[in-house]
Amino acid sequence: MIHLAQTTVLAAEESGDGGLELLLPATPELIAGIIAFALVFFFIRLWAMPAINASLENRQKAIGGQMEEAEKAKADAEKLRSEYEAQLAEAQAEKNRIIDAARGEADTVKADLVAKAEAQAAEILDKARADAAAEKSRVMADAQREVANLTVDLAEKVVGSSLDRQTQLGLVEQYIAELER
Amino acid sequence: MSDRTDGYAAAAYALASAEGELDRVEQELFAVGQSVESSPELRDALTNPSLPFDRKEGIVRDVVGAQASRVTVNLVSMFVAQGRGGDLPEIASALAEQRAASAGRAVAEVRSAVPLDEATIARLTAALERKTGRPVEIKAIVDPSVLGGIVTRVGDTVIDGSVARRLRSLRQTLQTR
Repeated sequence: MIHLAQTTVLAAEESGDGGLELLLPATPELIAGIIAFALVFFFIRLWAMPAINASLENRQKAIGGQMEEAEKAKADAEKLRSEYEAQLAEAQAEKNRIIDAARGEADTVKADLVAKAEAQAAEILDKARADAAAEKSRVMADAQREVANLTVDLAEKVVGSSLDRQTQLGLVEQYIAELER
Repeated sequence: MSDRTDGYAAAAYALASAEGELDRVEQELFAVGQSVESSPELRDALTNPSLPFDRKEGIVRDVVGAQASRVTVNLVSMFVAQGRGGDLPEIASALAEQRAASAGRAVAEVRSAVPLDEATIARLTAALERKTGRPVEIKAIVDPSVLGGIVTRVGDTVIDGSVARRLRSLRQTLQTR
């Protein structure tokens, strides 16, 4: 590299021009370059820039649309979220309501069962009392019948053996007398 | 009385009338009926289906007696052969009633614990005739189950003046009091 710089300096010294001439192109070359640059700039400005601008604009619009969509999606999501939360709250309320209703129903069923059981118990008790009373009456009636039978059986035996002929004739006489009356 | 009993009695009535022995047959049949009624063993023997008829006929002859009318023996044998030996008391009563009815009289079945003498029967007859308003023929039956007093049945009417009835009444009163 040092070697190359030394060579360039030597060449400049040899041509006799200043250093600036080494850096600047030749004038025609410069003019041609300016014209070429102008042409290129002109064509770029004429065709490329609108296309680029349109593309950029489209891109910007697309991004804007996407942003809007994103906003919209976000809003939708927010809406959905709020709806979901509302539904959740409603479901929670429904759940609480169902639990309360079930509790109430369970209480009612329990109360019914208790009432029925109490009624059945009372009925069984009443029936047992009635049965006991009926059984007592029956036993009393049986005993009374038995006593009556024993008494009359004994009376029959006593009467059968104690009625002599005279008494028998007296009974017959009494019968006829009542018939004749 | 059932139709069947009346039918048998009517047959006996017709047969005894045809033979001219209605009074005798009626009395003998009544006596047989009383024997059957007062003796459950006799009733069982006459109604026992496994007892051969020859045996039953022998029993009938013993019960009716050697002096009985041939018509009575034949009638009783026929009733027993027909399986109606147990119905002899009812048939005899029906025959007595039919005979009395044909003569315009009523039959009074009088049950007493002791036998009644003629004078008592005559007074009873007079009393019953005054009560029923028609001639009465008394069939006197000695029935120890009466215990004392008299039970009279005229047709469907029963006049019960027995000690047994008073005891029954007492039993009923004691049972229901």
